Amino acid sequence: MIHVSRLTKFYGDYPAVQDVSFDVPAGQIVGFLGPNGAGKSTTMRILAGYLTATSGQATIDGLDVLWDSVEVRRRIGYMPESCPLYQEMRVHEYLRFRAGIKGLHGGKRRQRIDFVLKRCWLEDVRRQLIGTLSKGYRQRVGLADALLASPPVLILDEPTAGLDPAQIRATRALIHELGREHTILLSTHILSEVEKTPCDRVIIIHEGRVAASGTLADLQEKASANACLIADFDGSIDEEALGGLPGLTDAASAKIDGGVRLRLHAGDLGSLTPRLCGLAAAQGWKIRQIRPERPTLEDLFVQITGRETA
Amino acid sequence: MRATLSLIHREFSAYFFSPIAYVVIAVFLAVTGYLFALSVLQLTAPGPKGISYPMQLIVNDVAFWLVFLFIPPLLTMRLFAEERSSGTLEMLMTAPLRDWQIVFSKFVACYAFFVLMWLPTLLYLPVLLDWQWGTWRCGIDPWTVGATYLGLALAGAMFLSLGMFVSSLVKSQIVAALVALFLSLLFIVAGIWRPEMDASGTAYQVLFYVTVPLHFERNFSHGVVDTRQLILYSSVAFLCLFLTIRSLESRRWR
Repeated sequence: MIHVSRLTKFYGDYPAVQDVSFDVPAGQIVGFLGPNGAGKSTTMRILAGYLTATSGQATIDGLDVLWDSVEVRRRIGYMPESCPLYQEMRVHEYLRFRAGIKGLHGGKRRQRIDFVLKRCWLEDVRRQLIGTLSKGYRQRVGLADALLASPPVLILDEPTAGLDPAQIRATRALIHELGREHTILLSTHILSEVEKTPCDRVIIIHEGRVAASGTLADLQEKASANACLIADFDGSIDEEALGGLPGLTDAASAKIDGGVRLRLHAGDLGSLTPRLCGLAAAQGWKIRQIRPERPTLEDLFVQITGRETA
Repeated sequence: MRATLSLIHREFSAYFFSPIAYVVIAVFLAVTGYLFALSVLQLTAPGPKGISYPMQLIVNDVAFWLVFLFIPPLLTMRLFAEERSSGTLEMLMTAPLRDWQIVFSKFVACYAFFVLMWLPTLLYLPVLLDWQWGTWRCGIDPWTVGATYLGLALAGAMFLSLGMFVSSLVKSQIVAALVALFLSLLFIVAGIWRPEMDASGTAYQVLFYVTVPLHFERNFSHGVVDTRQLILYSSVAFLCLFLTIRSLESRRWR
């Protein structure tokens, strides 16, 4: 549905997005993840037709975002980052106006407005001035606006930024529901967001480049590729004895309060634990704890984004 | 087309969300009302003191041109600058509208407000033109008034499009208003300052060519419609509309 190839955007000399390529198949929810200033918003703005790319190509539903800009804009519902709205309008007035400029009229317009008001839990505030609404409600007005023309593609830039936990949960549930009918590209800089939002795929972007992409499970697996076993012992141990453990690829020890911590890497962590226990019993080591350490997606994220800045 | 109408409707009603619209209309009507009262006195004054054309006094007055200088920038300053500073321009430019539709709608809404502002002055006309209710005829040639309104309509379009163009360039409404004011001043200043010049010299000819108050004083209020002036107003207006579209478009490229 969304196809991006080698997209590059320079602001003056500063490259905000470099050589970004990805695809979003129809019906998927794709999370766009990256630290602040990574180029998420810029990419989304290019897709929404607000900016033009310096080079590269992007198509939505087979239409080029540059050459068929207006047609593309008809097919997407875009919610910008801070969700700017006309403060002096009432919610239903604003939605009427937006529906009008999106080409909805008459009964169809009324019907869609009622639908999105209900869908985004805005019925209670329909007559309220947008300027007096809380951040959470404004965000929902932005979402309602994006849904108005029932576009096949939704591009949501940080849909949960600035919301309280209950609202975040509600928004997440809404996105999950919307995912059944729309192709969704959403961005966030909060990782737990992506883990909890039912994203089919995650694209991690850093310094304007795609750093990693894949399904959550893929990335999790990639992250846990360097899982290890942590074992704490009382007193001191004879590290030479560790050489007897089959399958051990790497071991590192560090002093902790009144003991030693071992960090063991092995091809098969599952079978390492009983072997280590056996070794400890034979050597008379006093085990405090043995636990596996699996790097989370967050560790991968930090690893990716930290490595390249270093 | 209907999308454009929706946008025009929103832009037009946006004027009434702020107090500026009411203040502008009030000041404008106070000034023109005062000048109307003076005109009535002058038209009926005996001897060489009086004036011979109904709109002559109104469009010759410095106060009128001061008002005319300040009003268009006040009406146009918010058009794009406000949207840029609040970020709503992004919402507008990602809606399925072409750039010219946005510019056209905003201009039409702004012009409609300008027309609305002038509408109450039509009430003065029966008096100024010595309207005879019995015979349904004017006692005074109405075409001098028609020519003045034609001139005002086009000059208004020029000043408004100029202001709109400036508004599309900057982020701050105040800056937009001040720059537009300065640019409008170029077209008005000689009418207020009235330099002593040799009227047959080239310098004066050039000054006359661009000075709007002089056009009204010499031509429109006397019922003379000079195409040079009509072309000046409409070409500046079209140029500014064109530049506004380009300026909006260039935002996308930055």
